[in-house]
Amino acid sequence: MKETDIQLMFCGSAGDGTIAVGDIFKRAMAKAGYKVIAFDIYPPEIRGFGKCISRVRVTSRQAYSLKQESDVLVSLNDSYAIPHVPEVRDFGSVIYDNAPITSMAEGEHISGHLLPGQLPYGLRIREISDQTTGGSKSKNIVALGYLAGLFGIKPEPFHLIIRDKFKKKDPSIAESNLLAFDTAYTEGASTFRLDFIELGAPERQEIGSKVQMMTGNAAVVRGCLDAGLDCFFGYPITPATSIMERLATELPRRGGRLLQTEDEISAIAATIGAGYAGVRSATATSGPGLALMVEMLGLGVISEVPSVIFCSQRGGPSTGMPTKTEQSDLHLAVYGGAGDAQRIVLAPTNVEGAYRCAGKAFEMAEKYQTPVIVLLDLYLSNRYETVLLPRQNPFEGESSKHRSRVERGIPYSRFAFTEDHVSPRTIPGEEGGIHVITGLEHNEMGRPNDQSDMHNRMSEKRHKKLLAALDHPGITIHKRFGDTGSVDVGILGWGSTVGEILEAMLMAQAEGISCSVMKVVMLSPLPVEPIQHFFSDCREVLIPELNYEGQFANLVASAVSKPFTRFNRVPGVPMQVADILDQIRRLAERAKSSSAA
Amino acid sequence: MGSTQHYVIIGNGVAGNEAAYHLRQRDPESRITIITAGRLLFYSRYELPRVFHENCDWRDFLVHPVEYYANNRINVRRNSFVTHVDAHRKTLSLAHKEEIQYSQLLVASGGASYLPAELDEFAPLLNHFNLYSAACKVRDILPKQGKVVMLGGDVLGLDLARNLVNDGYKVVLVATEHTFWPHRVESDERALFLGALRDMGVEVIEGVKIELIEQGAAGMSARHILFDDGREIFADVVMPFLGLLPAADFMMGSGVDFERGLLVSTNLRTTDQNIWAAGDVCQIWSPEENQYRFYYGWKNVKKMGEIAAKNMTGEDIHWETATDQKLYIDKNRQLVSPYWEHD
Ligand SMILES: Cc1cc2nc3c(=O)[nH]c(=O)nc-3n(C[C@H](O)[C@H](O)[C@H](O)COP(=O)(O)OP(=O)(O)OC[C@H]3O[C@@H](n4cnc5c(N)ncnc54)[C@H](O)[C@@H]3O)c2cc1C
Repeated sequence: MKETDIQLMFCGSAGDGTIAVGDIFKRAMAKAGYKVIAFDIYPPEIRGFGKCISRVRVTSRQAYSLKQESDVLVSLNDSYAIPHVPEVRDFGSVIYDNAPITSMAEGEHISGHLLPGQLPYGLRIREISDQTTGGSKSKNIVALGYLAGLFGIKPEPFHLIIRDKFKKKDPSIAESNLLAFDTAYTEGASTFRLDFIELGAPERQEIGSKVQMMTGNAAVVRGCLDAGLDCFFGYPITPATSIMERLATELPRRGGRLLQTEDEISAIAATIGAGYAGVRSATATSGPGLALMVEMLGLGVISEVPSVIFCSQRGGPSTGMPTKTEQSDLHLAVYGGAGDAQRIVLAPTNVEGAYRCAGKAFEMAEKYQTPVIVLLDLYLSNRYETVLLPRQNPFEGESSKHRSRVERGIPYSRFAFTEDHVSPRTIPGEEGGIHVITGLEHNEMGRPNDQSDMHNRMSEKRHKKLLAALDHPGITIHKRFGDTGSVDVGILGWGSTVGEILEAMLMAQAEGISCSVMKVVMLSPLPVEPIQHFFSDCREVLIPELNYEGQFANLVASAVSKPFTRFNRVPGVPMQVADILDQIRRLAERAKSSSAA
Repeated sequence: MGSTQHYVIIGNGVAGNEAAYHLRQRDPESRITIITAGRLLFYSRYELPRVFHENCDWRDFLVHPVEYYANNRINVRRNSFVTHVDAHRKTLSLAHKEEIQYSQLLVASGGASYLPAELDEFAPLLNHFNLYSAACKVRDILPKQGKVVMLGGDVLGLDLARNLVNDGYKVVLVATEHTFWPHRVESDERALFLGALRDMGVEVIEGVKIELIEQGAAGMSARHILFDDGREIFADVVMPFLGLLPAADFMMGSGVDFERGLLVSTNLRTTDQNIWAAGDVCQIWSPEENQYRFYYGWKNVKKMGEIAAKNMTGEDIHWETATDQKLYIDKNRQLVSPYWEHD
């Protein structure tokens, strides 16, 4: 069967329906049974009229990341799309309006910017929109119809999604948009094609089947709900806000509570408070918010109260780059706060992982009585993927929701030293469970105690109880991909960058380079042994990450003695697959020459 | 000439591309823009019959590799149709409403297939072979060993006819005054050449006029042709090959002298200082014949492209009237046109 792998880029200004058309396209393709990965870029202004880009990659098998070069660019606004023309591959296509309404000076029309190897597809986009809908608002739908017709993609899934999109509006709006789509579809289907784009049949073809396509943040919400989240407290911040927005509608429907607090400090305080009261609670923020939360986080650590904090990273420090992606809150998440404040930090690498980490975070928080930080980033929070979520809720039943460990007749010690370093937890009001809880160092009863021996033992307890999390069932802590056994190049990755790393690995393998990838999902505690084992298998190790210092590399450096290569970039956008591939090639050469020497 | 020059060439054919090459050689710093209505880079249209017997795509017809354009800084503006030239403001307008400023303009827009008024009504039922897309369309609709009816039969058509016959298709030629165009054929030669075509396997019909071309009935051949003498033919494809008309409507109102084509003196300059013309679109002054004349075929138009480019960059070279290219029958009794010899 022919493999499908095409990437489209819609580019226009806010108001052109760029993101909306990208959304219809990816939903239709997912409905048709293709795998989708997509990422939208909005203008930096909160409500601006800047540039919007929607990139959608459609494949037969789930891809790990977007491609560097798109196969098709659809321009809904030439001045915004022109700078992106070089991102279209040779013999790729550019679709644009060739009957614009106003005159323009040389260079203002996109056709003048196509590279010699690219293929022009001009269409009367605005005119068709006018004729079919009586206005130019449906230019995006016209472009969509044209490209669907051009590439021979069946129209039915588009019809369904367009109807759905406009279902809350006057029925005439859906009808005129369907007419716009169909008119352009016919034009596309009758256009003489010069490109070599071919779509194979999708793997599953049942139209109307329940295809799960969601963003990383939507997956977090889904994970929270499936895990039985009771309370959410939050303060809006890009790129985490959509978690709260979704929960605001979904959580109350399931009997949960959501409160928008006055700031991040209150949000985490309330989250820990709710955790203390014995309900599943969470908050979501970004780096600047997490920076405000760390003091309270320390309280969660020392008082051993479960809580879950989602942190979607963006460019920093301070307000930094709110609409750009980065992986630079790792130090803050792992180490942030006063004292030895060990906690669990999970960093999912894709949308499905975001779902699993979100769901498991609650169980882990409760089992190990600790704050759990789930670290995402803007790229993962906002990107869409088709995911195959299990039909059966995987977080149901195995819940470790509070179960009283108070035994009648025996004096209760909230912080008792135990074999697994986890003490019996009780919630306020439980009979026999009276105890003191404080931010001060304490003894087993919870009473303030600053004796050196007690502090030593409590520090050890708080540290060691987390080590069991490295074997926590039902969650991927780390995973190796690619070649097995000894390899020339190993790439160690974390977070969303793992997608680009895996794509680069596949390309390197296709070039005959022996290489493999290890992704690390649990950043704290760090799975030291598997990492050391991976190092011993690799002649060269590369650690690519989106921060300036190499924050993950710093963590790894403390665990291994062997030298490795850091690859740190802070472009504000996802790492380029080609850049990682270049590094792999360079290291493969070095591995070859050192083994020959 | 300095680096501020912007040479704009309308036409992506032999003449335009030859001119672009020489302009770049002679003025390395200038801007060069080729404007074409087509969507492809410069390709060899003479080789289009290859679409029938090779598994090829348009990339196989490209004259230059894609990198050539970047390396020579020649910007080819494809899918851009020129609608008007304003010689006074030195601008030209594109159909998508963009205006382009030029320092010097070369019009090399070639010719379009000629279709007489009486055939106009049948235009939707006719196929052409002048572009890659048109050639592919014919290939796609023509069944194996299918039948093609050629109206007229200029040298482009005859070239296709011999290729089709070789590939096992049936060709019916409806001879008209345009048969053998642009060769000048004396009446005694005509019978000889038509005979050579028959020997080649082409069925020739003479002395008839077309009454009707219509869609064939369902299950029948795609086209039904009725002649004025009552004869009728069923065919899969009908193609007019009746010569070319210069494609220069956009020059109307530009102020430049125009007859059937753009009128140029022997240095290929039009009546406007900054506008030149080369290729099938121009009529060159012939002092010998004391009239303006067309010269067709790739060898002629290539030479014109070169001369125009050189003169645009300061030389003073003149078109020397070529001797007529004669159609002849070779020693193997095959009909041969010098136009069919390619680089
Ligand atoms: C199918 C075919 C086969 C041929 N075979 C032979 C052969 O075997 N031997 C031979 O010697 N000659 C052959 N010829 C050559 C032909 O007879 C011409 O002499 C030659 O092609 C003329 O070249 P040109 O550069 O003047 O124009 P053309 O090659 O016709 O190019 C004209 C260009 O102008 C562009 N153009 C026209 N109008 C506009 C506009 N308004 N806006 C923008 N762009 C415009 C067109 O898109 C095209 O790119 C063939 C021609 C054709 C079409």
